[in-house]
Amino acid sequence: MNLEQELKSALRRQDPSPDFAERVLARVAAAPLRTAPRVSQVWVRWLAAIAAALLLAAGGLEYRHYRGERAKAQVLLAVRIAGSKLNKAQRKVHMLAHRSNS
Amino acid sequence: MKAVGLPVALLLLAGTLPAQQVKWNFDKLAARASDSTEVSLDGALLQLGAKFLSDEDKDQAKIKKLVGGLKGIYIKTFEFKKPGEYSASDVEPFRAPLRPPEWQRIVGTHSNEDGESVEVYIKNDSKGIGGLVIISTAPKELTLVNIVGAVDLDSLSELGKHFDFPEVEVEKKK
Repeated sequence: MNLEQELKSALRRQDPSPDFAERVLARVAAAPLRTAPRVSQVWVRWLAAIAAALLLAAGGLEYRHYRGERAKAQVLLAVRIAGSKLNKAQRKVHMLAHRSNS
Repeated sequence: MKAVGLPVALLLLAGTLPAQQVKWNFDKLAARASDSTEVSLDGALLQLGAKFLSDEDKDQAKIKKLVGGLKGIYIKTFEFKKPGEYSASDVEPFRAPLRPPEWQRIVGTHSNEDGESVEVYIKNDSKGIGGLVIISTAPKELTLVNIVGAVDLDSLSELGKHFDFPEVEVEKKK
């Protein structure tokens, strides 16, 4: 066979099988419909986003509170140590001044 | 004109520089101490902690007022198992940066009875006291306090005298 005959044979008109239309319609009916998201789905997404934002904000506040309480404890300890040492020095100075006066 | 301009500019710059903590190196002592306590509060942390102090509690309200003008509090305490585990030469480097005219030693006490010494240094700036350093040595303990900013010595000493708040949990390091 030459090339021309091969092409003719490959591209010859062929009728579909008798149940072709039926099969196409059946598949179309079986395929899920692609529709726009329903209003309730949009709300669920918004609520989830708001809940996540609220959780993040609450976590941030809680962490800030934790840091603040920790800093407060350190301030109290710092004043306690520094104050007691300074007071000790001051008492000794007063004691010496008292002794030299009497 | 140029020769006068530079020193004047440096002086003006020095006036605007933020007060800074004294730089000490604790490595040598930290290796020998059995315990150490560190408090490191920069300006932001100090003011955050002050916000959490109660206005209702009289002592906490006083502390709030006291730390309001401060830019930092840095404390390091070393505890040793036995006396003599550190010497005077170990303490000397902590005094080195406290030189006049910037720093002035206002108190130096020593007790032969308990072997405890306390030295108080103040840093003078244009507005008055700009900082405080306390070096307290005892046979088994060494404490270094550096307060940056305008500190009210009387209030601090008064709080140290009668302020009896419970022990607070701090990180102890070895």
